[in-house]
Amino acid sequence: MKAKIRVALAGNANVGKSVIFNHFTGLHQHVGNWPGKTVEKAEGTLYFRGRVVDVIDLPGIYSLSTFSLEEKISREYIAGEKPDVVINVVDASSLERNLFFTLQLLELEPKVVVALNQVDVAERKGVRVDPKRLERELGVPVVPTVAVRGRGIHSLLERAVEVAEGRRRIRPHRFSYGREIERRVRSLLPLLEKAGTGYPPRWLALKLLEGDEEVKRLVGRVSPRAVELAGKYSRELEGLYGEKASTLLTSCRYSLAHRIASRSQRIHPRPARTERLDALTTHPLLGYPLLAGLLLSLLLTVFWVGGRVEGVLEGLTEPLVKGTSERLGSLAGEGVVGGLLAGLTIVLPFVLPFYVLLTLLEDSGYLARGAFLMDGLMHRLGVHGKAFIPLLLGYGCNVPACLGCRIMETERERVLSVFLSTLVPCAARTVVILGLVGRFVGMGWALGLYLLDLAAIFLLGRLAFKIMPGEPVGLIMEIPPYRRPHLPTVLRQSWNRTKDFFYVALPFILGGSLVLTALRAGGLLDPLSDLLSPLTVGWLGLPAVAGVTLLFGLLRKELTLIMLTLLLGPDLSLHLTHAQMITFATVTVFYFPCVATLAALVREVGWKRSLYIAAAEVLFALWLGGVMYRLLSLAGV
Amino acid sequence: MTNESSEEYLEALYRLKERGERTTTTRVARELGVAPSSATLMLKKLARRGYLRRHPYRGVTLTRRGEEVGRGVLRKHRVMERFLSSLGLPPSRAHRKACELEHHIPEEVETAIHRRMEAQKLPQGLPPGSLPLTGLLEGQKGLISSLSGGTSACRRLADMGLTPGTEVEVLKSALFRGPLMLRVRGTTLAVGRGLASKVFVKPVG
Repeated sequence: MKAKIRVALAGNANVGKSVIFNHFTGLHQHVGNWPGKTVEKAEGTLYFRGRVVDVIDLPGIYSLSTFSLEEKISREYIAGEKPDVVINVVDASSLERNLFFTLQLLELEPKVVVALNQVDVAERKGVRVDPKRLERELGVPVVPTVAVRGRGIHSLLERAVEVAEGRRRIRPHRFSYGREIERRVRSLLPLLEKAGTGYPPRWLALKLLEGDEEVKRLVGRVSPRAVELAGKYSRELEGLYGEKASTLLTSCRYSLAHRIASRSQRIHPRPARTERLDALTTHPLLGYPLLAGLLLSLLLTVFWVGGRVEGVLEGLTEPLVKGTSERLGSLAGEGVVGGLLAGLTIVLPFVLPFYVLLTLLEDSGYLARGAFLMDGLMHRLGVHGKAFIPLLLGYGCNVPACLGCRIMETERERVLSVFLSTLVPCAARTVVILGLVGRFVGMGWALGLYLLDLAAIFLLGRLAFKIMPGEPVGLIMEIPPYRRPHLPTVLRQSWNRTKDFFYVALPFILGGSLVLTALRAGGLLDPLSDLLSPLTVGWLGLPAVAGVTLLFGLLRKELTLIMLTLLLGPDLSLHLTHAQMITFATVTVFYFPCVATLAALVREVGWKRSLYIAAAEVLFALWLGGVMYRLLSLAGV
Repeated sequence: MTNESSEEYLEALYRLKERGERTTTTRVARELGVAPSSATLMLKKLARRGYLRRHPYRGVTLTRRGEEVGRGVLRKHRVMERFLSSLGLPPSRAHRKACELEHHIPEEVETAIHRRMEAQKLPQGLPPGSLPLTGLLEGQKGLISSLSGGTSACRRLADMGLTPGTEVEVLKSALFRGPLMLRVRGTTLAVGRGLASKVFVKPVG
């Protein structure tokens, strides 16, 4: 008996893979009704009958080619790390598409157990799958499950452990691609058997015929002859069938999948109950106002309710900050405790509720429809419709938004959508807009600033699109059927997103708070303000104290407002003109992705690009602020 | 009404004008392959009927009426030539046949053919009647005949189940040149317009 068993979960997006992962490990993990979300492999550990079982959740993908990072990660993991068993989660309600992935997985020759999930959903659709028959067709164990209800999970784990320990022999079928292809595969095999790449020779041969660049490079190092020969063979096949060899092989796999699916399932189609809802939400005209209305009311609800909760929270936490400051000095009090609490007062009332509501929409399948509707518009910004989803996340906090951009397939798309995400008015920025402009100048102006932000996203996005080299990539995503959101999953996922904020952002916020409090204690803030005054006073027309507050804003945007109130007193209208308020808010919104966002940026796109983005945004904010101030003063606001 | 030969003249004149060439009697005669003397006669006749104006030593210019006829005939010629070569006629024959047919095709037939040709700017070697997926109407079904375009685009399409021989149904087409929503292999897919135009289908039903 092995001391440790490694299990990998693999399968299409949106089949309940992550729900199974959660059942196994109890670890909190991203789950959702949004294809292709889990890009990183999540790991967890469980104890099963005296064994330690490590579980790895691979990203949800449809294929094992290397178009996207997720596909690459998965195939390298399965072939390179060689887990003891791979659990392939298969959606019983769309068997054919799922088996297409299963066939590719089997070619990599790991030990496979199939989890036939969502059998209940399938039955509601009128699809009845016979697991025994499927087992015979594939040659690997098949366990029916209903993951959201926890059904079948235990036997799945049992079976997986049996297979991993070799107590249950599996004999996966080798599926044939037809005479012409098989003949060519056979003559490539001798060249590949000695290649020592870690991948099975037959898989290498098939991938070479498909013209897979990655595999060509891999094999080219040891056997250039094989690559050359395979190239010749694919041209022959193309001549024979009139299709690209990769299309040909994919067609073969799909028709195999079709055959297996139709042998092991009985279909008595029943009309989907959600058809009318679907028709309405993707309506070419009504769909848009519906989307806008839903999102707007979501934001309004969160900020209206959140504003109240925030007030209460601040009242509660203030004595704590004061108390610590008095006893342990301002460094500990305002720096550590204040920073921590200020973080909480934005997360609890705004970010977390926003994510819960948004995740509800997502898990129901609505956001995928949103991406469908927005694709045309997003293309003007050089990215496709999927980017709409991370952008929405940005309204809560830019950090999870940046991390969410991993669903984009290519590097170029990722960079563009990360850039756009940093411009989305997050909860902190909204607090500043509402608390300063909304409160003292008027709600109309606050809304205007919001619109200005949207316009800026559009303009800067287009600019970045023009500058960024490379071809835009088209949208292709599965639209999952509508379903009732699974509440535990939604809560776990909302927490996951909020957690991004804590893990990535909080250390920076705390560190920054400490530095700034230290600066203040050392009396260095005033000289700094003076240093900045040509910019703040001369160009932006703000009072000199604004310099310090903007420095604080580097940590978190809403600190600008908090600091301003601290330095000038609660009634800001005594000290600032309306034009100054609007200018201040504008600069705050645009001038720098806060440290936490910068950290996320660096993680996602690297130092160099992050600095470019930060510099561009600072310059843009200063330019816009100066222009705004002059225009508003001229207009006599 | 105009007869065949006056239509030929007006078409030739319009073509010369389009190319920015001089429209002297000799040039027109050369273009049509007729003797200058018969060209002179015909041009005089057309001028009398108000299709063109003659300017001594500078040749002729089309009146608005003449221009309309000339443009119409030339358009019919081009549509027919394209249509015939798409049916497999060699280019020189397609040109000659189009010269004959252009005088006998009613306008509505010409527009119908034209529309069809536009809908299927086809790559070579496709079964007749194929058109890009974007050419299907909402609710229409098609059988995929081929994928065109780059390797990675083809691979992504095929990986999502859009392989040759598969039946697809267009469920929805979004505004703003947005994506199509397709029903394929029992699931729903959103496919961007750019990608969808690389999938060629034969309409069924």
